[in-house]
Amino acid sequence: MNFRDRHLWIVILAGLSLGTLGVLLSVWGNPQNSGICVSCFFENSAGALGLHDNSRMQYLRPELIGFVLGSMGSAALFREFRSRGGSAPLPRLFSGIFLMVGCAVFIGCPIKLVLRLTAGDLTAVAGGIGLVGGVWAGLKTLAGGVHLAPAQTQKGSGLLVPGLFALLLVFLIVRPGFLLFSAASSAAQHAPWLLALAAGLGLGALAQRSRLCVTGGVRDTLLLGHRSPLLYGLFAFVLSAVAVNLATGRFNPTLYGQPGAHLDHLWSFLGMALVGWLSVLIGGCPFRQLIKAGEGDADAGLVAVGMLIGGALVQSWGIAATAAGVPLYGKVAVLAGFIFVFGLSLVQREQEGY
Amino acid sequence: MPKFSQTSLLWLLMVVATAAMAALLVTASGDDPRWRTAGLDKAVERELAFQARAAFLQKVYAPVEALLAAGQAQTALLKLDELERSFSGDPHGFILRGEILRDLGVLDRAIANYVRALKLSGDYLEEASPLSRRTEIRHLVDQGLRELVPRARSNPDNRSLAATVGELHYLQSRLAGGCE
Repeated sequence: MNFRDRHLWIVILAGLSLGTLGVLLSVWGNPQNSGICVSCFFENSAGALGLHDNSRMQYLRPELIGFVLGSMGSAALFREFRSRGGSAPLPRLFSGIFLMVGCAVFIGCPIKLVLRLTAGDLTAVAGGIGLVGGVWAGLKTLAGGVHLAPAQTQKGSGLLVPGLFALLLVFLIVRPGFLLFSAASSAAQHAPWLLALAAGLGLGALAQRSRLCVTGGVRDTLLLGHRSPLLYGLFAFVLSAVAVNLATGRFNPTLYGQPGAHLDHLWSFLGMALVGWLSVLIGGCPFRQLIKAGEGDADAGLVAVGMLIGGALVQSWGIAATAAGVPLYGKVAVLAGFIFVFGLSLVQREQEGY
Repeated sequence: MPKFSQTSLLWLLMVVATAAMAALLVTASGDDPRWRTAGLDKAVERELAFQARAAFLQKVYAPVEALLAAGQAQTALLKLDELERSFSGDPHGFILRGEILRDLGVLDRAIANYVRALKLSGDYLEEASPLSRRTEIRHLVDQGLRELVPRARSNPDNRSLAATVGELHYLQSRLAGGCE
Protein backbone atom coordinates (compact mmCIF):
# COMPACT_ATOMS: atom_id res chain seq x y z
CA MET A 1 0.00 0.00 0.00
CA ASN A 2 1.35 3.41 -0.94
CA PHE A 3 0.97 5.56 2.16
CA ARG A 4 1.96 8.65 0.21
CA ASP A 5 -1.18 8.30 -1.88
CA ARG A 6 -3.40 11.32 -1.17
CA HIS A 7 -6.59 9.35 -1.91
CA LEU A 8 -5.75 6.82 0.81
CA TRP A 9 -5.62 9.60 3.40
CA ILE A 10 -8.94 11.01 2.21
CA VAL A 11 -10.45 7.54 2.68
CA ILE A 12 -8.95 7.29 6.18
CA LEU A 13 -10.23 10.79 7.04
CA ALA A 14 -13.69 9.81 5.82
CA GLY A 15 -13.58 6.63 7.96
CA LEU A 16 -12.44 8.54 11.03
CA SER A 17 -15.21 11.12 10.54
CA LEU A 18 -17.85 8.44 10.04
CA GLY A 19 -16.86 6.63 13.24
CA THR A 20 -16.50 9.78 15.31
CA LEU A 21 -19.69 11.48 14.15
CA GLY A 22 -21.58 8.18 14.13
CA VAL A 23 -21.11 7.93 17.89
CA LEU A 24 -21.20 11.65 18.66
CA LEU A 25 -24.58 12.10 16.99
CA SER A 26 -25.91 9.60 19.53
CA VAL A 27 -24.27 11.59 22.32
CA TRP A 28 -25.91 14.72 20.92
CA GLY A 29 -29.38 13.20 20.91
CA ASN A 30 -29.85 10.50 18.27
CA PRO A 31 -30.96 7.06 19.54
CA GLN A 32 -28.39 4.86 21.25
CA ASN A 33 -26.05 3.03 18.80
CA SER A 34 -27.93 4.76 16.00
CA GLY A 35 -26.03 8.00 15.51
CA ILE A 36 -25.97 7.23 11.81
CA CYS A 37 -28.26 4.62 10.32
CA VAL A 38 -29.40 5.14 6.76
CA SER A 39 -32.23 2.61 7.01
CA CYS A 40 -33.57 3.92 10.35
CA PHE A 41 -33.38 7.44 8.96
CA PHE A 42 -35.34 6.43 5.87
CA GLU A 43 -38.00 4.81 8.08
CA ASN A 44 -38.17 7.98 10.17
CA SER A 45 -38.32 10.26 7.13
CA ALA A 46 -40.98 8.15 5.40
CA GLY A 47 -43.05 8.45 8.57
CA ALA A 48 -42.53 12.22 8.74
CA LEU A 49 -43.84 12.48 5.18
CA GLY A 50 -46.95 10.52 6.17
CA LEU A 51 -45.99 7.36 4.29
CA HIS A 52 -46.50 5.14 7.33
CA ASP A 53 -48.46 5.51 10.55
CA ASN A 54 -46.05 4.31 13.23
CA SER A 55 -46.20 7.37 15.46
CA ARG A 56 -42.92 6.36 17.09
CA MET A 57 -40.89 6.49 13.86
CA GLN A 58 -41.61 9.91 12.35
CA TYR A 59 -38.87 12.51 11.96
CA LEU A 60 -37.34 14.10 8.88
CA ARG A 61 -33.70 13.22 9.50
CA PRO A 62 -31.38 16.09 8.48
CA GLU A 63 -28.43 13.71 8.12
CA LEU A 64 -30.00 12.02 5.07
CA ILE A 65 -30.53 15.39 3.39
CA GLY A 66 -26.96 16.33 4.26
CA PHE A 67 -25.51 13.16 2.73
CA VAL A 68 -27.09 13.83 -0.66
CA LEU A 69 -26.58 17.60 -0.77
CA GLY A 70 -23.04 17.37 0.65
CA SER A 71 -22.17 14.85 -2.04
CA MET A 72 -23.73 17.04 -4.72
CA GLY A 73 -21.81 20.10 -3.52
CA SER A 74 -18.54 18.21 -3.49
CA ALA A 75 -19.18 16.64 -6.90
CA ALA A 76 -20.04 20.05 -8.36
CA LEU A 77 -16.99 21.67 -6.77
CA PHE A 78 -14.60 19.05 -8.12
CA ARG A 79 -16.37 18.83 -11.49
CA GLU A 80 -17.48 15.26 -10.92
CA PHE A 81 -21.22 15.81 -11.13
CA ARG A 82 -22.39 13.76 -14.10
CA SER A 83 -26.02 13.14 -14.84
CA ARG A 84 -26.40 9.52 -15.83
CA GLY A 85 -28.88 6.66 -15.56
CA GLY A 86 -30.93 4.08 -17.42
CA SER A 87 -29.34 0.96 -15.95
CA ALA A 88 -32.11 -1.49 -14.99
CA PRO A 89 -34.27 1.16 -13.31
CA LEU A 90 -37.05 -1.04 -11.91
CA PRO A 91 -34.73 -3.75 -10.57
CA ARG A 92 -32.84 -0.97 -8.78
CA LEU A 93 -36.05 0.46 -7.36
CA PHE A 94 -36.99 -2.95 -5.99
CA SER A 95 -33.43 -3.47 -4.78
CA GLY A 96 -33.85 -0.30 -2.71
CA ILE A 97 -37.03 -1.72 -1.18
CA PHE A 98 -35.37 -5.04 -0.35
CA LEU A 99 -32.29 -3.30 1.06
CA MET A 100 -34.64 -1.75 3.59
CA VAL A 101 -36.23 -5.13 4.31
CA GLY A 102 -32.84 -6.67 5.11
CA CYS A 103 -31.85 -3.70 7.25
CA ALA A 104 -35.19 -3.61 9.09
CA VAL A 105 -34.94 -7.29 10.00
CA PHE A 106 -31.40 -6.81 11.30
CA ILE A 107 -32.34 -3.38 12.79
CA GLY A 108 -29.83 -1.19 11.04
CA CYS A 109 -27.85 -0.55 7.88
CA PRO A 110 -24.21 -1.65 7.43
CA ILE A 111 -23.01 1.59 9.08
CA LYS A 112 -25.16 0.91 12.12
CA LEU A 113 -23.91 -2.67 12.11
CA VAL A 114 -20.40 -1.31 12.69
CA LEU A 115 -21.65 1.21 15.27
CA ARG A 116 -23.48 -1.57 17.14
CA LEU A 117 -20.42 -3.83 17.10
CA THR A 118 -18.10 -1.06 18.24
CA ALA A 119 -20.45 -0.30 21.14
CA GLY A 120 -20.10 -3.92 22.27
CA ASP A 121 -23.41 -5.20 20.89
CA LEU A 122 -22.59 -8.86 20.40
CA THR A 123 -25.97 -9.58 18.77
CA ALA A 124 -24.62 -7.73 15.72
CA VAL A 125 -21.91 -10.38 15.15
CA ALA A 126 -24.35 -12.60 13.24
CA GLY A 127 -25.26 -9.63 11.03
CA GLY A 128 -21.57 -8.92 10.41
CA ILE A 129 -20.94 -12.48 9.30
CA GLY A 130 -24.07 -12.28 7.14
CA LEU A 131 -22.92 -9.06 5.49
CA VAL A 132 -19.50 -10.49 4.60
CA GLY A 133 -21.16 -13.69 3.37
CA GLY A 134 -23.61 -11.68 1.28
CA VAL A 135 -20.84 -9.62 -0.29
CA TRP A 136 -18.88 -12.79 -1.04
CA ALA A 137 -21.96 -14.36 -2.65
CA GLY A 138 -22.56 -11.16 -4.62
CA LEU A 139 -19.01 -11.27 -5.93
CA LYS A 140 -19.48 -14.88 -6.99
CA THR A 141 -22.65 -13.84 -8.80
CA LEU A 142 -20.80 -11.06 -10.62
CA ALA A 143 -18.03 -13.49 -11.50
CA GLY A 144 -20.74 -15.78 -12.90
CA GLY A 145 -21.63 -13.12 -15.45
CA VAL A 146 -24.47 -11.22 -13.78
CA HIS A 147 -24.30 -7.55 -14.68
CA LEU A 148 -26.92 -4.83 -14.72
CA ALA A 149 -26.97 -2.87 -17.98
CA PRO A 150 -24.45 -0.02 -18.17
CA ALA A 151 -25.64 3.50 -17.38
CA GLN A 152 -25.76 6.21 -20.01
CA THR A 153 -25.50 9.96 -19.89
CA GLN A 154 -28.94 11.39 -19.22
CA LYS A 155 -29.21 15.13 -19.21
CA GLY A 156 -31.03 16.47 -16.17
CA SER A 157 -32.28 13.21 -14.66
CA GLY A 158 -29.42 13.17 -12.17
CA LEU A 159 -30.72 16.40 -10.69
CA LEU A 160 -34.11 15.01 -9.72
CA VAL A 161 -33.15 13.16 -6.54
CA PRO A 162 -30.85 15.95 -5.24
CA GLY A 163 -33.78 18.27 -6.05
CA LEU A 164 -36.09 16.07 -3.98
CA PHE A 165 -33.70 16.22 -1.04
CA ALA A 166 -33.38 20.02 -1.45
CA LEU A 167 -37.18 20.14 -1.18
CA LEU A 168 -36.99 18.03 1.98
CA LEU A 169 -34.51 20.57 3.35
CA VAL A 170 -37.08 23.31 2.71
CA PHE A 171 -39.68 21.17 4.53
CA LEU A 172 -37.29 20.71 7.44
CA ILE A 173 -36.81 24.45 7.78
CA VAL A 174 -40.39 25.58 7.08
CA ARG A 175 -42.06 22.61 8.87
CA PRO A 176 -45.38 22.58 7.01
CA GLY A 177 -48.31 21.16 8.99
CA PHE A 178 -48.59 17.98 6.94
CA LEU A 179 -45.25 16.76 8.26
CA LEU A 180 -45.42 14.38 11.20
CA PHE A 181 -42.95 14.42 14.06
CA SER A 182 -42.95 11.82 16.83
CA ALA A 183 -43.43 13.26 20.29
CA ALA A 184 -42.00 10.16 21.94
CA SER A 185 -39.72 7.17 21.38
CA SER A 186 -36.73 6.78 19.09
CA ALA A 187 -37.77 9.26 16.39
CA ALA A 188 -38.23 11.92 19.05
CA GLN A 189 -34.58 11.42 19.97
CA HIS A 190 -32.47 13.53 17.67
CA ALA A 191 -29.42 15.73 17.64
CA PRO A 192 -30.05 19.48 17.09
CA TRP A 193 -31.07 19.68 13.45
CA LEU A 194 -28.42 22.18 12.36
CA LEU A 195 -25.70 20.03 13.90
CA ALA A 196 -27.13 16.91 12.28
CA LEU A 197 -27.38 18.66 8.91
CA ALA A 198 -23.81 19.94 9.16
CA ALA A 199 -22.58 16.45 10.05
CA GLY A 200 -24.49 15.02 7.09
CA LEU A 201 -23.14 17.63 4.68
CA GLY A 202 -19.56 17.06 5.84
CA LEU A 203 -19.83 13.29 5.66
CA GLY A 204 -21.58 13.47 2.30
CA ALA A 205 -18.75 15.57 0.85
CA LEU A 206 -16.04 13.35 2.35
CA ALA A 207 -17.75 10.16 1.20
CA GLN A 208 -18.05 11.59 -2.30
CA ARG A 209 -14.32 12.35 -2.41
CA SER A 210 -13.27 9.05 -0.85
CA ARG A 211 -15.91 6.68 -2.33
CA LEU A 212 -16.22 5.20 1.15
CA CYS A 213 -18.70 2.34 1.32
CA VAL A 214 -19.01 -0.42 3.91
CA THR A 215 -19.94 -3.20 1.49
CA GLY A 216 -17.54 -1.77 -1.08
CA GLY A 217 -14.79 -1.99 1.53
CA VAL A 218 -15.61 -5.63 2.24
CA ARG A 219 -15.83 -6.36 -1.50
CA ASP A 220 -12.48 -4.71 -2.29
CA THR A 221 -10.83 -6.44 0.64
CA LEU A 222 -12.05 -9.83 -0.60
CA LEU A 223 -10.70 -8.96 -4.05
CA LEU A 224 -7.53 -7.00 -3.29
CA GLY A 225 -6.67 -7.85 0.30
CA HIS A 226 -4.56 -5.25 2.10
CA ARG A 227 -4.04 -3.29 -1.13
CA SER A 228 -7.62 -1.97 -0.94
CA PRO A 229 -7.70 1.67 0.28
CA LEU A 230 -11.27 1.15 1.51
CA LEU A 231 -9.98 -1.46 3.96
CA TYR A 232 -8.02 1.29 5.72
CA GLY A 233 -11.13 3.48 5.66
CA LEU A 234 -13.07 0.71 7.40
CA PHE A 235 -10.27 0.28 9.95
CA ALA A 236 -10.37 4.02 10.65
CA PHE A 237 -14.17 3.84 10.98
CA VAL A 238 -14.01 0.95 13.46
CA LEU A 239 -11.12 2.32 15.51
CA SER A 240 -12.56 5.83 15.83
CA ALA A 241 -16.01 4.47 16.75
CA VAL A 242 -14.51 2.19 19.44
CA ALA A 243 -12.41 5.07 20.79
CA VAL A 244 -15.34 7.49 21.00
CA ASN A 245 -17.63 4.81 22.46
CA LEU A 246 -15.03 4.10 25.15
CA ALA A 247 -14.42 7.79 25.80
CA THR A 248 -18.12 8.53 26.20
CA GLY A 249 -18.86 5.46 28.33
CA ARG A 250 -20.97 3.80 25.67
CA PHE A 251 -19.00 0.59 25.30
CA ASN A 252 -21.00 -2.24 26.84
CA PRO A 253 -19.87 -5.65 25.56
CA THR A 254 -22.73 -8.08 26.11
CA LEU A 255 -25.28 -10.15 24.26
CA TYR A 256 -28.28 -9.16 26.37
CA GLY A 257 -30.15 -5.93 26.98
CA GLN A 258 -28.64 -4.10 24.02
CA PRO A 259 -30.57 -1.13 22.60
CA GLY A 260 -32.48 -1.80 19.38
CA ALA A 261 -31.31 -5.39 19.10
CA HIS A 262 -32.83 -8.88 19.11
CA LEU A 263 -31.61 -12.42 19.62
CA ASP A 264 -32.89 -13.96 16.35
CA HIS A 265 -29.34 -14.48 15.11
CA LEU A 266 -30.30 -16.52 12.04
CA TRP A 267 -32.50 -13.68 10.78
CA SER A 268 -29.88 -11.06 11.59
CA PHE A 269 -27.49 -13.12 9.48
CA LEU A 270 -29.97 -13.49 6.62
CA GLY A 271 -31.07 -9.85 6.71
CA MET A 272 -27.54 -8.56 6.40
CA ALA A 273 -26.63 -11.26 3.85
CA LEU A 274 -29.44 -9.93 1.69
CA VAL A 275 -28.13 -6.39 2.09
CA GLY A 276 -24.57 -7.43 1.27
CA TRP A 277 -25.56 -9.43 -1.79
CA LEU A 278 -27.84 -6.72 -3.19
CA SER A 279 -25.29 -4.00 -2.48
CA VAL A 280 -22.69 -5.77 -4.59
CA LEU A 281 -25.12 -6.21 -7.47
CA ILE A 282 -26.16 -2.54 -7.49
CA GLY A 283 -22.74 -1.10 -6.67
CA GLY A 284 -22.82 0.09 -3.08
CA CYS A 285 -24.38 0.00 0.37
CA PRO A 286 -27.40 2.19 1.24
CA PHE A 287 -25.08 5.06 2.28
CA ARG A 288 -23.08 4.84 -0.96
CA GLN A 289 -26.31 4.89 -2.99
CA LEU A 290 -27.17 8.26 -1.44
CA ILE A 291 -23.70 9.61 -2.20
CA LYS A 292 -23.92 8.43 -5.81
CA ALA A 293 -27.38 9.95 -6.12
CA GLY A 294 -25.82 13.25 -5.08
CA GLU A 295 -23.21 12.88 -7.83
CA GLY A 296 -25.95 12.75 -10.46
CA ASP A 297 -26.38 8.97 -10.67
CA ALA A 298 -30.11 8.63 -11.35
CA ASP A 299 -29.89 4.84 -10.96
CA ALA A 300 -28.64 5.26 -7.39
CA GLY A 301 -31.33 7.92 -7.00
CA LEU A 302 -33.91 5.33 -7.90
CA VAL A 303 -32.46 3.00 -5.25
CA ALA A 304 -32.88 5.90 -2.78
CA VAL A 305 -36.51 6.30 -3.84
CA GLY A 306 -36.91 2.54 -3.38
CA MET A 307 -35.43 2.85 0.11
CA LEU A 308 -37.95 5.58 0.94
CA ILE A 309 -40.78 3.32 -0.22
CA GLY A 310 -39.20 0.40 1.63
CA GLY A 311 -38.90 2.51 4.77
CA ALA A 312 -42.64 3.05 4.68
CA LEU A 313 -43.47 -0.58 3.87
CA VAL A 314 -41.36 -2.18 6.60
CA GLN A 315 -43.26 -0.12 9.17
CA SER A 316 -46.73 -0.34 7.62
CA TRP A 317 -46.60 -4.07 6.95
CA GLY A 318 -45.03 -5.09 10.25
CA ILE A 319 -41.81 -6.28 8.63
CA ALA A 320 -39.37 -4.43 10.89
CA ALA A 321 -37.86 -6.36 13.78
CA THR A 322 -37.96 -5.11 17.35
CA ALA A 323 -36.28 -6.11 20.59
CA ALA A 324 -38.96 -8.83 20.77
CA GLY A 325 -37.56 -10.45 17.63
CA VAL A 326 -38.32 -10.74 13.93
CA PRO A 327 -42.03 -10.87 13.05
CA LEU A 328 -43.39 -13.46 10.62
CA TYR A 329 -43.81 -10.88 7.84
CA GLY A 330 -40.18 -9.83 8.32
CA LYS A 331 -39.01 -13.39 7.78
CA VAL A 332 -41.24 -13.79 4.73
CA ALA A 333 -40.00 -10.47 3.31
CA VAL A 334 -36.35 -11.49 3.69
CA LEU A 335 -37.05 -14.74 1.85
CA ALA A 336 -38.91 -12.75 -0.83
CA GLY A 337 -35.79 -10.57 -1.07
CA PHE A 338 -33.63 -13.62 -1.74
CA ILE A 339 -36.11 -14.84 -4.36
CA PHE A 340 -35.79 -11.40 -5.97
CA VAL A 341 -31.97 -11.61 -5.92
CA PHE A 342 -31.96 -15.07 -7.44
CA GLY A 343 -34.50 -14.08 -10.09
CA LEU A 344 -32.60 -10.90 -10.94
CA SER A 345 -29.38 -12.85 -11.21
CA LEU A 346 -30.99 -15.39 -13.52
CA VAL A 347 -32.50 -12.73 -15.76
CA GLN A 348 -29.44 -10.48 -15.90
CA ARG A 349 -26.94 -13.28 -16.37
CA GLU A 350 -24.90 -13.28 -19.55
CA GLN A 351 -25.48 -16.60 -21.26
CA GLU A 352 -22.55 -18.94 -21.62
CA GLY A 353 -21.11 -18.90 -25.11
CA TYR A 354 -21.95 -15.25 -25.71
CA MET B 1 -44.01 40.89 -32.11
CA PRO B 2 -40.68 39.26 -31.13
CA LYS B 3 -40.23 35.60 -32.02
CA PHE B 4 -39.31 33.19 -29.20
CA SER B 5 -37.58 29.90 -29.77
CA GLN B 6 -39.17 26.99 -27.94
CA THR B 7 -36.19 26.85 -25.56
CA SER B 8 -36.58 30.51 -24.61
CA LEU B 9 -40.30 30.00 -24.18
CA LEU B 10 -39.79 27.04 -21.86
CA TRP B 11 -37.25 28.97 -19.78
CA LEU B 12 -39.65 31.91 -19.58
CA LEU B 13 -42.52 29.66 -18.51
CA MET B 14 -40.33 28.04 -15.88
CA VAL B 15 -39.38 31.44 -14.45
CA VAL B 16 -43.05 32.49 -14.43
CA ALA B 17 -44.17 29.29 -12.70
CA THR B 18 -41.37 29.57 -10.10
CA ALA B 19 -42.19 33.23 -9.43
CA ALA B 20 -45.90 32.40 -9.11
CA MET B 21 -45.18 29.61 -6.62
CA ALA B 22 -42.88 31.86 -4.58
CA ALA B 23 -45.45 34.68 -4.62
CA LEU B 24 -48.19 32.28 -3.54
CA LEU B 25 -46.16 30.99 -0.61
CA VAL B 26 -45.00 34.45 0.46
CA THR B 27 -48.42 36.12 0.27
CA ALA B 28 -50.19 33.22 1.95
CA SER B 29 -47.73 32.95 4.82
CA GLY B 30 -48.66 36.21 6.60
CA ASP B 31 -51.24 35.93 9.37
CA ASP B 32 -53.23 33.16 7.78
CA PRO B 33 -52.58 29.97 9.74
CA ARG B 34 -54.17 27.88 6.99
CA TRP B 35 -51.08 28.17 4.77
CA ARG B 36 -49.35 25.57 6.86
CA THR B 37 -51.99 22.94 6.32
CA ALA B 38 -55.41 22.51 4.85
CA GLY B 39 -56.87 21.14 8.05
CA LEU B 40 -56.03 20.76 11.70
CA ASP B 41 -52.31 20.49 12.35
CA LYS B 42 -51.49 16.78 12.61
CA ALA B 43 -49.40 17.31 15.73
CA VAL B 44 -52.42 18.90 17.44
CA GLU B 45 -54.63 16.06 16.24
CA ARG B 46 -52.23 13.54 17.72
CA GLU B 47 -52.01 15.37 21.04
CA LEU B 48 -55.81 15.51 21.26
CA ALA B 49 -56.04 11.77 20.61
CA PHE B 50 -53.42 11.07 23.27
CA GLN B 51 -55.16 13.23 25.87
CA ALA B 52 -58.48 11.56 25.05
CA ARG B 53 -56.90 8.13 25.52
CA ALA B 54 -55.36 9.12 28.85
CA ALA B 55 -58.75 10.40 30.07
CA PHE B 56 -60.45 7.24 28.80
CA LEU B 57 -58.00 4.97 30.62
CA GLN B 58 -58.42 6.93 33.82
CA LYS B 59 -62.18 6.50 33.62
CA VAL B 60 -62.19 2.81 32.65
CA TYR B 61 -59.62 1.69 35.21
CA ALA B 62 -60.83 3.96 38.05
CA PRO B 63 -62.51 1.02 39.90
CA VAL B 64 -59.23 -0.96 39.83
CA GLU B 65 -57.28 2.02 41.15
CA ALA B 66 -59.88 2.45 43.91
CA LEU B 67 -59.59 -1.21 44.94
CA LEU B 68 -55.81 -0.93 45.00
CA ALA B 69 -56.00 2.19 47.12
CA ALA B 70 -58.22 0.23 49.54
CA GLY B 71 -55.57 -2.52 49.68
CA GLN B 72 -57.74 -5.13 47.93
CA ALA B 73 -55.21 -6.44 45.43
CA GLN B 74 -56.93 -9.78 44.77
CA THR B 75 -60.28 -8.09 44.07
CA ALA B 76 -58.48 -5.63 41.81
CA LEU B 77 -57.09 -8.57 39.82
CA LEU B 78 -60.61 -9.98 39.43
CA LYS B 79 -61.85 -6.57 38.29
CA LEU B 80 -59.05 -6.44 35.72
CA ASP B 81 -60.12 -9.85 34.39
CA GLU B 82 -63.64 -8.51 34.06
CA LEU B 83 -62.47 -5.39 32.25
CA GLU B 84 -60.30 -7.45 29.91
CA ARG B 85 -63.43 -9.06 28.49
CA SER B 86 -64.58 -5.62 27.30
CA PHE B 87 -61.17 -4.12 26.45
CA SER B 88 -59.25 -7.14 25.27
CA GLY B 89 -55.60 -6.47 24.47
CA ASP B 90 -55.48 -3.05 26.10
CA PRO B 91 -51.89 -2.51 27.29
CA HIS B 92 -52.94 -0.48 30.33
CA GLY B 93 -54.67 -3.53 31.78
CA PHE B 94 -51.44 -5.51 31.47
CA ILE B 95 -49.49 -2.70 33.13
CA LEU B 96 -51.86 -2.60 36.10
CA ARG B 97 -51.86 -6.39 36.41
CA GLY B 98 -48.05 -6.34 36.26
CA GLU B 99 -47.93 -3.78 39.05
CA ILE B 100 -50.27 -5.79 41.29
CA LEU B 101 -48.41 -9.05 40.70
CA ARG B 102 -45.07 -7.34 41.36
CA ASP B 103 -46.40 -6.03 44.68
CA LEU B 104 -47.67 -9.52 45.49
CA GLY B 105 -44.18 -10.87 44.81
CA VAL B 106 -45.12 -12.93 41.74
CA LEU B 107 -42.13 -11.68 39.77
CA ASP B 108 -42.31 -13.95 36.72
CA ARG B 109 -45.96 -13.16 35.97
CA ALA B 110 -45.40 -9.47 36.64
CA ILE B 111 -42.57 -9.44 34.08
CA ALA B 112 -44.73 -11.29 31.53
CA ASN B 113 -47.49 -8.68 31.88
CA TYR B 114 -45.09 -5.73 31.51
CA VAL B 115 -43.66 -7.37 28.39
CA ARG B 116 -47.14 -7.79 26.89
CA ALA B 117 -47.92 -4.16 27.60
CA LEU B 118 -44.69 -2.83 26.11
CA LYS B 119 -45.08 -4.90 22.97
CA LEU B 120 -48.41 -3.17 22.46
CA SER B 121 -47.40 0.34 23.47
CA GLY B 122 -44.05 1.96 24.14
CA ASP B 123 -45.68 4.97 25.83
CA TYR B 124 -45.05 3.38 29.21
CA LEU B 125 -41.30 3.80 28.72
CA GLU B 126 -41.39 7.51 27.92
CA GLU B 127 -40.22 9.61 30.81
CA ALA B 128 -42.30 12.57 29.68
CA SER B 129 -45.50 10.58 29.24
CA PRO B 130 -48.20 10.79 31.92
CA LEU B 131 -48.53 7.00 31.47
CA SER B 132 -44.81 6.46 32.12
CA ARG B 133 -43.81 3.41 34.19
CA ARG B 134 -40.14 3.68 33.28
CA THR B 135 -38.85 3.89 36.85
CA GLU B 136 -40.98 0.94 38.00
CA ILE B 137 -39.84 -1.17 35.04
CA ARG B 138 -36.20 -0.29 35.72
CA HIS B 139 -36.60 -1.39 39.35
CA LEU B 140 -38.33 -4.58 38.22
CA VAL B 141 -35.48 -5.36 35.80
CA ASP B 142 -32.87 -4.69 38.50
CA GLN B 143 -34.73 -6.98 40.89
CA GLY B 144 -35.14 -9.65 38.21
CA LEU B 145 -31.46 -9.58 37.26
CA ARG B 146 -30.53 -9.85 40.91
CA GLU B 147 -32.90 -12.68 41.79
CA LEU B 148 -33.86 -14.60 38.66
CA VAL B 149 -30.68 -14.70 36.59
CA PRO B 150 -28.59 -16.53 39.26
CA ARG B 151 -31.50 -18.95 39.76
CA ALA B 152 -31.68 -19.59 36.02
CA ARG B 153 -27.94 -20.23 35.90
CA SER B 154 -28.14 -22.80 38.67
CA ASN B 155 -31.22 -24.43 37.09
CA PRO B 156 -30.38 -24.60 33.37
CA ASP B 157 -33.15 -27.16 32.71
CA ASN B 158 -35.93 -24.92 34.05
CA ARG B 159 -37.61 -23.78 30.84
CA SER B 160 -40.14 -21.41 32.37
CA LEU B 161 -37.38 -19.66 34.30
CA ALA B 162 -35.33 -19.37 31.11
CA ALA B 163 -38.34 -17.85 29.35
CA THR B 164 -38.78 -15.30 32.14
CA VAL B 165 -35.10 -14.36 31.91
CA GLY B 166 -35.59 -13.91 28.16
CA GLU B 167 -38.48 -11.55 28.89
CA LEU B 168 -36.33 -9.74 31.40
CA HIS B 169 -33.70 -9.18 28.73
CA TYR B 170 -36.42 -7.83 26.44
CA LEU B 171 -37.37 -5.25 29.09
CA GLN B 172 -33.68 -4.45 29.58
CA SER B 173 -33.25 -3.91 25.84
CA ARG B 174 -36.30 -1.64 25.65
CA LEU B 175 -34.99 0.42 28.56
CA ALA B 176 -31.63 0.76 26.77
CA GLY B 177 -33.40 2.59 23.95
CA GLY B 178 -32.16 2.32 20.38
CA CYS B 179 -33.99 2.82 17.13
CA GLU B 180 -36.90 0.48 16.45
